[in-house]
Amino acid sequence: MASLSATSLSFKAPSIQSTRISQSISFGRFQSSKSLRLQISCAAKPETVQKVSDIVKEQLALSADTALTAESKFSALGADSLDTVEIVMALEEKFNISVEEADAQNITTIQEAADLIEDLVQKKPAA
Amino acid sequence: MVDKGPVISLCRSLLRAGHQYPDYNIREYAKRRTLEGFRMNKNLTDHSKVEEAYAEGKKQLEVVERVVKVYLAYPPRTKNIMELKLQ
Repeated sequence: MASLSATSLSFKAPSIQSTRISQSISFGRFQSSKSLRLQISCAAKPETVQKVSDIVKEQLALSADTALTAESKFSALGADSLDTVEIVMALEEKFNISVEEADAQNITTIQEAADLIEDLVQKKPAA
Repeated sequence: MVDKGPVISLCRSLLRAGHQYPDYNIREYAKRRTLEGFRMNKNLTDHSKVEEAYAEGKKQLEVVERVVKVYLAYPPRTKNIMELKLQ
């Protein structure tokens, strides 16, 4: 049940690429359309999960119609530990964050990755 | 005998170090080469070979870190065309 909020969601996400054009449909969540810096949300935003899924698909060379849920484990998708390292590096690059060793070891599903990213993006003082 | 943990750590360090190059070409090469190198030796079982590969990886890490400093001293003035977003 998708509802388009009246105010257009100008997507100046806490991370970077302001030239990025992303279309997001708010799933009934309340998102302030102003600067999304101090976003207080419990779980990762669907947009983040979507972006993570896209990167994972690209890295693992999955076909475009592979159904990726937030709970998909990387290992279930055919990724070994090296692939996971690659995925984490790609995410670091994309979101301009820096993931610690310990955190990186614990990422096994897409949801976890998205949560960690959101966490790091919030903590990082948005320049 | 080297375990998976340190090996993955080494891979990550190499990728991170290679990412610092200001020059597109060598940056991409570093990334490609480390992944290729680690994938190639992925299935080694012989302990001594594993040690050897790990030691080589550490040596390369030193090299990369040293060379990064040199490259940072003379950063390229323009962006490589491959880095520009598609218009």
